[in-house]
Amino acid sequence: MNANDTINYINAEGLQFFGRVNASISHELKNILAIISETSGFLNDLTDLARQGEPLNLSLLGNCNQSIAEEIQRGFTTIKKMNRFAHSVDVPVTEIDLMDTLSLTAQLAGFLSTTSTVRINADRKGVGRILTSPFLLQNLIYRILCLASETAGPDGEISILVSSDTDSGDLMRIHSPVPGTWNAFPTPKIEEAARILGIEMSLTDDPEQLQLKIPYVSNQIVALAKVLQL
Amino acid sequence: MDKTESIHLLMVDDEKKFLDTITERLKLKFFEITSATNGEDAIKAAEKGGFDVAVVDLQMPGIDGIKLLEILKKNHQYLEVLILSGHATVSTAVECTKMGAFKVLEKPCPFDDLVEAIKDAYERRLKRKFERDQARMQKLEALAMGQSPLGILKEMAKMEDEGK
Repeated sequence: MNANDTINYINAEGLQFFGRVNASISHELKNILAIISETSGFLNDLTDLARQGEPLNLSLLGNCNQSIAEEIQRGFTTIKKMNRFAHSVDVPVTEIDLMDTLSLTAQLAGFLSTTSTVRINADRKGVGRILTSPFLLQNLIYRILCLASETAGPDGEISILVSSDTDSGDLMRIHSPVPGTWNAFPTPKIEEAARILGIEMSLTDDPEQLQLKIPYVSNQIVALAKVLQL
Repeated sequence: MDKTESIHLLMVDDEKKFLDTITERLKLKFFEITSATNGEDAIKAAEKGGFDVAVVDLQMPGIDGIKLLEILKKNHQYLEVLILSGHATVSTAVECTKMGAFKVLEKPCPFDDLVEAIKDAYERRLKRKFERDQARMQKLEALAMGQSPLGILKEMAKMEDEGK
C-alpha cells in the first residue's frame, strides 16, 4: 500500500468509525432525553393529581428532581466525550498520552449495549508520550474491544494493563476471561490499522491475552507524518 | 379508560430509570404493567401469558429488540408489539414492520403518542382475535351439521393445535 492508498484507507475507515461512534453517542443522548422527558411528564402527572385533591408525595418529587439532575450530568459527560472524540481528528499525527486515549476509547465503546465492561490499569513508572495517529489508534482499540465483546458478551469483563517495560514503547495487554475470545483475531481491518501505526500485535502464552507493542515513535508514523507534510 | 378495561402491557427496556418512570406514568393511565430490563426476562414473563401489547426497546444486551420481536410474534400470535427505541432508523423500522411490529416509535416519544399507539395496538389485537373467534364459530357451526359429538370435539382439538 503506497502513501496515498494509506491516506485513502485512513479516510474511508475513519468516516465509517466516526459514523459508528456518533450513532452510539446519539443513542445515549436520546436515552438521556427520554428519561428527562418522562420524569418531567411524571412531575406534571403528579401536579395534576394534586390539583384534583390527591396528597403530594414529597419523596417522589425529590426522586424525580434528583433523577433529572443526574441525567443532565450524564448528558454533560456524554457531550464532553463526544467533544474530545471530535477533536481527535484535528491533527492527523501528534503526540498523545496512551492512557487518555485508551480511557476515552473504552468509554466510547461502552455506549454500545453489546460491549463488555472494560477495566484499565496502568503499571508504568513514567508517562510515555506516543507519536501516532490518535484517530486511527482509537479506531484500532475500538475494533479490538468490539471483537472481544462479541465473545465475552455484555456481562463479561475485559481487563487492560498498560506498562512501559521497554525503552521504545508501551505494552498493552488485553485479557478476556472467556475462552475463544481471540479466535477471530486479527480481522483484516485490525491488522491494517496496526500495520499503519507500526504496532506489533501477538497472542501471548495465555491464550486469552492479546498483546500490543505500541512504539513511542515508529518508522511508519514518521513516514505518514511526512506524507501529510506535518 | 378505567380499571375494568385495563390493557396488560409488557414493557422491555434496558434503561432502568426510563423503564421505571414510564411504568409509573402508564400505571396512572390504568395500564397493567410488567416490566423487564432484558430480552430473556421478557420472554419468561410473556410465557406466563395474559399480555395484550409489548413495548420493546431495540438495542439491549443479550437478546436484542429485533430478536425479541421475532420470538414474541412466533410464540404469541395475538400479542401486538410496539418498538420504542432511540436507535430506530428507517431501515430498522421497515425491518420491524415486516416482522410484524405494530408500530415503531422513536425515543424520546411524546407520552400521549405512546398511549395512543398502545391503544391502537390493543384494538388491532381485539379485532384479530374477534375475527379468529368468528371464523372458528363458523367452522364449528358447519361441523356441527354432519358430525358426531366426538367428531366435533376432535375437530375442535385439531383447530386448537393449528391455532385457528
